[in-house]
Amino acid sequence: MNSGLRGAHDMSTIKQAGMKAMPYGSVTILIGIMTAIFYSIGLSLDLVNIALLFLVPVLLSSVLWNMGSAVYAAALGSLCFDFFFVSPVLSFAVEDLRYLISFGVYLAVAILTASLSARLKRQLQYSKQKEAHTAALYELSRQISDMTDVPSLLKNILSHVSRVSGTDIAIYLPDHKNQLALFQGSDSQEKWGHGEAEKAMAKLAFDYGEAVGYGSRTLREAPGYYLPLRTESRVLGVLGVHLEKLKRGLTMEQQNMLEAICGLAASAIDRVKLADEARIAQLSAESERLRAAILDSVSHELRTPLAAIIGSATGLMENDPIFTPEDRSELLLTIREGALRMNRLVMNLLNMAKLESGMPHLRKNWCDAEDLIGVALAQMKDFQQHRVIQVQLPDHTPLLVGDETLLEQVFVNVISNAIKYSPDHSEIRIHVHVHPSSLDIVVADQGIGLDNEEYERIFEKFYRSQATKHVTGTGLGLAICKSIMELHGGSIKGSRNSPRGTIMTLSFPLQSYSNQNILNS
Amino acid sequence: MNAMQTSILIIDDEPQIRKLLKVTLQAHQYAIHEASTGEEGVQQASSLCPDLVILDLGLPGISGMEVLSLLRNWSNVPIIVLTAKDREDDKIMALDNGADDYVTKPFAMGELLARIRAALRHAGSSQHDPILRIGGLTIDLVQRSVEWHGERIKLTPTEYDLLRVLAISEGKVVTQRQLLQQVWGEQHQSTDNHYIRVYIGHLRKKLEEDSAQPRWIITEPGVGYRLRIRDE
Repeated sequence: MNSGLRGAHDMSTIKQAGMKAMPYGSVTILIGIMTAIFYSIGLSLDLVNIALLFLVPVLLSSVLWNMGSAVYAAALGSLCFDFFFVSPVLSFAVEDLRYLISFGVYLAVAILTASLSARLKRQLQYSKQKEAHTAALYELSRQISDMTDVPSLLKNILSHVSRVSGTDIAIYLPDHKNQLALFQGSDSQEKWGHGEAEKAMAKLAFDYGEAVGYGSRTLREAPGYYLPLRTESRVLGVLGVHLEKLKRGLTMEQQNMLEAICGLAASAIDRVKLADEARIAQLSAESERLRAAILDSVSHELRTPLAAIIGSATGLMENDPIFTPEDRSELLLTIREGALRMNRLVMNLLNMAKLESGMPHLRKNWCDAEDLIGVALAQMKDFQQHRVIQVQLPDHTPLLVGDETLLEQVFVNVISNAIKYSPDHSEIRIHVHVHPSSLDIVVADQGIGLDNEEYERIFEKFYRSQATKHVTGTGLGLAICKSIMELHGGSIKGSRNSPRGTIMTLSFPLQSYSNQNILNS
Repeated sequence: MNAMQTSILIIDDEPQIRKLLKVTLQAHQYAIHEASTGEEGVQQASSLCPDLVILDLGLPGISGMEVLSLLRNWSNVPIIVLTAKDREDDKIMALDNGADDYVTKPFAMGELLARIRAALRHAGSSQHDPILRIGGLTIDLVQRSVEWHGERIKLTPTEYDLLRVLAISEGKVVTQRQLLQQVWGEQHQSTDNHYIRVYIGHLRKKLEEDSAQPRWIITEPGVGYRLRIRDE
């Protein structure tokens, strides 16, 4: 790549030399042709006209090219005019001194027009450059405005700057101990910037917040130029430009451009960092809120059964003789109930933790919906009291694919909710509906029910509805159900039952399997 | 110590669990020996020759699984393992490595006693009787016929084989793999378990009053099935 660059450089110097010689050649040719034409026509043209026509090359060259070529055109033009047209013809002697005035006018016109047009051209070039800079900056800022992480932002800036400046670029960022370190960007930018000298210069720029190195006030002879990436309030890093490759150093425009890019980069980095900080602050607030909710609900849910267990057990131990056998079995039942409740809570907490930490693998077995319902109902035996649980299944229920212990947890949570939030002696219906590509299991109770909009929220972790505050619970069960259902590619939804109660719908995707295949085989 | 008493060795590192088991099982006329580590357990098993071993899988030092295979090297003593609820893989591994049954912690004492009785029953029976009689279920192994509360039930050959395997191990859990191997043959993988699901469903429809709330053919989630008739 280096030799290629140099080749291109040589080519461009040759081109430049050619460009320089071109105006003079063109002027010479033009004046030669004009002289030949006028001379052959002879003096049928008025001398004044010829003199005026010789202004044309002067004007042309001053507008098209530069002052040098204009002066050259003026000189050449007046010489030709003198030699070929002013008598004595074919001699440089001048009879009439008035023609000297026309030489002077030529020169004056040449210099004036040339300087005017040069100024115009400069302004044009300047505004073109400005436009290019603005476009480049706009392009860069558009590119980096979408980026939300610092590394890709920096990579983008690195590649942009090295493209614009044609040299190696390095970016230094402070690490968590506020020590500057070279940002490891993409491969091509890593050739330069590792040295201690470069780091020291970058450190200077970082500490002072001002440009260091080439052309600046500090260490102006150094082969690098170091610009701080600074916002109004702080310095976020340093951009270093390797100048050894650039023979002519940096132009004023390039320096301005670099400064503008550094400003852009700094504000972009600042924006990303602020966004990160805001996100972290929000996360920690969220986790703080969550922790409070966990502590609140878990401590209550743990303490209540514990109180029942400890109270009943100590009562039995200390006052054994005064209890009738019925009292005793009542207390023992209380102990068992409390322990079972704690066990459910612990299971839920463990499951939640397991799901949150990401399941190592979801075991995929064929599961029978009827079987899963049966297993869940068997666990509800002691709990359901006099509620009537009706199960309705179609004759052939396709099998589901999933982790049966996790799905068992879903069914237990949903059915135990139906029991918990509905009065004794009420009816709970469990229906299975088979659709072409999904299987729905609907659990409908005639319990408290919630407002329609609340059915969205009950799947949030630790959310408890105000309407159900009198029933104990942690707000974990349905959150677990939702996680498990999503792991299985299914969904869980709640809605109002009419006239009262809740309908929970578990929807499972059906795999490309049909009972029919197996029965036939 | 009464020589007629059935002796049980408890291998568990938790003193509270050992105490609970000891008190309850002694009340049910079992003679109890205790070991708090795997090494001690293996040693006691070889010196005392207990009639049954209750083994905690979560032992410190040498693990319950290692104790299980050490014991199985030389002994056919019935072994019931204690595991945590969410360790299905451990349960299956223990059953495949020769455990007779498992109970998940926390367990109800009635459940453990039923497992102990079933395991002891199987260890004592020679199983040469061609006719199995379990509660209301009668299976004629020669005729391949099944009666349920005195009524002949028509079963397909696969259904019959499934019921037979469950009935031979009555009261004990049978893993899905064991069912696949004994009913469908060796070549089947555990991923083929939809066969079991479908045929268990058929059996339940023929035997259970309410197949959604089965009383006899009990699912052990993630592990297998258990035919439960005598202890009901």
